[in-house]
Amino acid sequence: MTARTFTAAAVLVSIAAASAFAFQRGGGRGSARVFRDSEGPIVLPSDANDKNEFNFARLRYTNVRASGMWGARGGWAVDYPKADRQFLMGVRRLTRLNTHSIETVVDLNSDEIFNYPWVYVVEPGHWSLSDKEAAKLREYIDRGGFLMTDDFHGTYSWGNFMASLSRAFPDKTVVDIPDDDPIFQVVYDLKQRFQVPGIVNYPFQQSHEYDGFEPRWRAVRDSKGRIVVAICHNMDLGDAWEWADHPEYPEKYASLAYRIGINYILYAMTH
Amino acid sequence: MFELLFKYPAIMFHKGEFVFGRSWPVWLLITLCAAAAAYVAFVAVRARDRAATPPRASASRWLRPLVLGALSWSTLAVLLLMLWQPALSVSSLKPRQNVVAVVVDASRSMSLPGQGTTRIAQARSLLDSNLLAAIQARYPVRIYTAGASATRIEAASAIEPNEPVTRLGDSLAQIAAESATLPIGAIVLLSDGSDNAHGFDRAALSALKQARIPVHTIGFGPESLTTDVEMLTAVAPTRALPGARIPITARIRHAGFDNRQAKLTAVSEGRVLASRQITLPPAGQLAAESLTIAVGKAGAMNVEIKVEPLGGELSPANNAQSVLVQIEDRLPRILYFEGEPRWELKFIRRAAEADRDVELVSLLRTTQNKFYRQGIASPAELVNGFPATSEEIFSYDGLIIGSVEAGAFAPVQLSLIRAFADRRGGGVLFLGGRTSLSDGAWQATEVADILPVTLSSRNNTFSRTPVKAELTQQGALHDLTRLDDSPQANATRWRALPPIADFQESGAPKPAALVLAETVTPGGRRPLLAIQPFGRGRVALLATGGTWKWQMLLDARDQSHETFWKQMLRWLVSESRSRLSARVSESVLNDTAKLRIDAEVFDSNYLPNSEAAVEARITMPGGETSLAALQPDPVRPGHYSAEFKALSAGAYVAQLTARHGDSEFARDELMFRRQDGVAEAFHPEQDRPLLEDLAAQTGGRYWTPESSRDLPKEIEFSEAGLSVRELHDLWDMPAAFLLLIGLKAAEWLLRRRWGAV
Repeated sequence: MTARTFTAAAVLVSIAAASAFAFQRGGGRGSARVFRDSEGPIVLPSDANDKNEFNFARLRYTNVRASGMWGARGGWAVDYPKADRQFLMGVRRLTRLNTHSIETVVDLNSDEIFNYPWVYVVEPGHWSLSDKEAAKLREYIDRGGFLMTDDFHGTYSWGNFMASLSRAFPDKTVVDIPDDDPIFQVVYDLKQRFQVPGIVNYPFQQSHEYDGFEPRWRAVRDSKGRIVVAICHNMDLGDAWEWADHPEYPEKYASLAYRIGINYILYAMTH
Repeated sequence: MFELLFKYPAIMFHKGEFVFGRSWPVWLLITLCAAAAAYVAFVAVRARDRAATPPRASASRWLRPLVLGALSWSTLAVLLLMLWQPALSVSSLKPRQNVVAVVVDASRSMSLPGQGTTRIAQARSLLDSNLLAAIQARYPVRIYTAGASATRIEAASAIEPNEPVTRLGDSLAQIAAESATLPIGAIVLLSDGSDNAHGFDRAALSALKQARIPVHTIGFGPESLTTDVEMLTAVAPTRALPGARIPITARIRHAGFDNRQAKLTAVSEGRVLASRQITLPPAGQLAAESLTIAVGKAGAMNVEIKVEPLGGELSPANNAQSVLVQIEDRLPRILYFEGEPRWELKFIRRAAEADRDVELVSLLRTTQNKFYRQGIASPAELVNGFPATSEEIFSYDGLIIGSVEAGAFAPVQLSLIRAFADRRGGGVLFLGGRTSLSDGAWQATEVADILPVTLSSRNNTFSRTPVKAELTQQGALHDLTRLDDSPQANATRWRALPPIADFQESGAPKPAALVLAETVTPGGRRPLLAIQPFGRGRVALLATGGTWKWQMLLDARDQSHETFWKQMLRWLVSESRSRLSARVSESVLNDTAKLRIDAEVFDSNYLPNSEAAVEARITMPGGETSLAALQPDPVRPGHYSAEFKALSAGAYVAQLTARHGDSEFARDELMFRRQDGVAEAFHPEQDRPLLEDLAAQTGGRYWTPESSRDLPKEIEFSEAGLSVRELHDLWDMPAAFLLLIGLKAAEWLLRRRWGAV
């Protein structure tokens, strides 16, 4: 095989793999065209400088080094900041929680994270925590912090997610949350749940991405049995929050996403 | 000299009664004295008028006749008095027909040093040298030792100071009782008067006075403490919850160890619970030192707190005291009502979960129409929200009101919150928050009365600006805010805490309030944590909802947040009682038997209940039981009491029940302990006031060993036993004649000087 032939074969394989990858995500059917912001730049709410009881803290992390399409996508800022702010509007409307109107971005390199006992991390299938960051995450949890993960799908993402999480919790195992756990009852009764798709699944004839066919509600518990890391795997609550106001995003998914988010926050504030 | 001038010893004048030997009426003596005064005055005036010399200045014109007249009248009055034959009537013992009881204190304290030797050796020496022989020369003598009771012995040389307790009152009363068949003329008591297990009770003194037996006391031992450390008292809460940290406060006195370092230790069952170095204060000052100990599981816990002996102490045995702490077998429940989701609830719950001996039930308003309940005992608990009946709310021991506006409560619920502290005796904590205190319009409710601050009428008093919290002087010492046993270290630890997330300007502290912590804000220092008693209960205000920052901003291993909240929750419920609340007058009886059991009984609304049958089933150290019925107090509704005698040393348990008919509606348990041979070690110096008082009350006299050589003579003058009353003339005592001569000589000299003769 000549060099030219080898190069052509490699390009063909790459194109084929990228097509398959895109198909797995459900993309390529016009989601980017349908789900577009039409309101222009996001304007800070008038009460953005107020101080409130609850702050939506989004974790900024370093992406795992990867090649190809996998390495190009994902990251801490997915759905940021519209998902956060739109979700907070719902929290304000549906609960008595005194909520800050905008999100706060925190990371594991400074101690600022300790001011926010509830932290949301998106696409953790792409995260890569250093030993120092893993240790800080553990310290954060041990002091009483709560971590909610969202929007990562399939086996490959899970493996990468666990590679970092295990460094923070080498003594813990990830367990499934039973339907009768208080986290599914603290505000809303969520015994009946289903997979919440991201917009890549538009027009939502399927709800999974990659091989993440079944939504998994999993957790790391502390020594008292309390959930301290709530893992939403094979679902995209962030997209549901972000596009809840979009006529093309089904209401039932948005509604469940809000309920799950509210339950997780209220659970974190009571356990 | 006294006897030379006045013919008789001074004691006769002290003991005797002044009488006249003539049967002539006293009024005649007074009349004659008055007539003599008139005559002298008449003569003086006439002499002045006849005087050939010109009148002098008005002062001397009257003064000289007055002085001369007074001297003349005094001479006449003394002569008239002697004509009436004044005399002393004195009761005295018949020699050889009365017994003198010599009582020697044989308690252990008599083995302590006296003057160069032990006190008992000094007493034996005194008796052997001359005292006993001098008494025996006139009266038969019976020798007794005094300890728990009086024991007759044959010879003073056989006395050993090995009695574990001194009951002087009982011993002397026992000897007084023998006077019914034995003519006891006097008692001579040789003692240091050192701690008397019973004190000198009125019954014993009354028996002695009734027998009219004078008690002459001879005191041994130094009259003030010398080179000794003594723990006067040790005070601890009589009840505590399992696992509680409680303070034991010791009052210590000493002599000869000014500014010396000593080690204060608390020990239970051979295990050191706490220990620290203390500095003894300068002479004459008492030291008040405390140790904080952690108590264990339910049951009785005997704790000895002691100062490790210093070299050269008079009595190391008095360096320790015992306290009995009853660790209660109950699980107090606290209801925490939070009006909105707050991090404070999460972290308070976590702190409470670390304490298995307090149960926290929380009721959180999550949404407009929903409550979230945690820690409930049954699905029905709090199903309708905050309690609206006394039965429901009084089932809790403590109450926390979070960020919830007053308008969320019905009027009856507000009354119940107030009654919870006032009648129920529970603890109520108010937290600061967005809709707390005056921002929640609480100042317009009756609940404002129970708060330790006067709420301001302003709104917008809540701020989410992080501020530092610092202890006040009282807070550095208080159990509720104790993060370190040392007040200084405690204050330092509080200063090192991260800022709290928010604070609320609550108002000025009320007069009964104690401010334990303050916020340090740019506008000044404001009360952060204030407490006050209210009715039977207690109320606290913590003007923040942001102590959770202590947990999140400190290392995960740091226990400051947990410790504070554990102590706060326990403080809320530590004084709450059931509908039958009992206590004993003393939980540790040192060489004494009597104690009083008091109980307070309430109905289901926690109003005094005087119609219950209350009894105590007391289990003795040997396992046998005794039943004591508590009688209602006619004056104080709901109060009952009974006397009990713990006749043997050991641990006692009293199970109290309150019944209506056959239905028992409340119970309580008490523990107490009697220990013997302890009191003797305390107050090692001579108790001279006690000995002096005993002598004065019975007609005897206090003596020192040195002055006691005159004691045998004084024994004679007694009204006890076989005695006779005799008259002793006073008219012929030399002092009377010297007085007459002196009066006439003075008159003559003055007349010569003034030219009146």
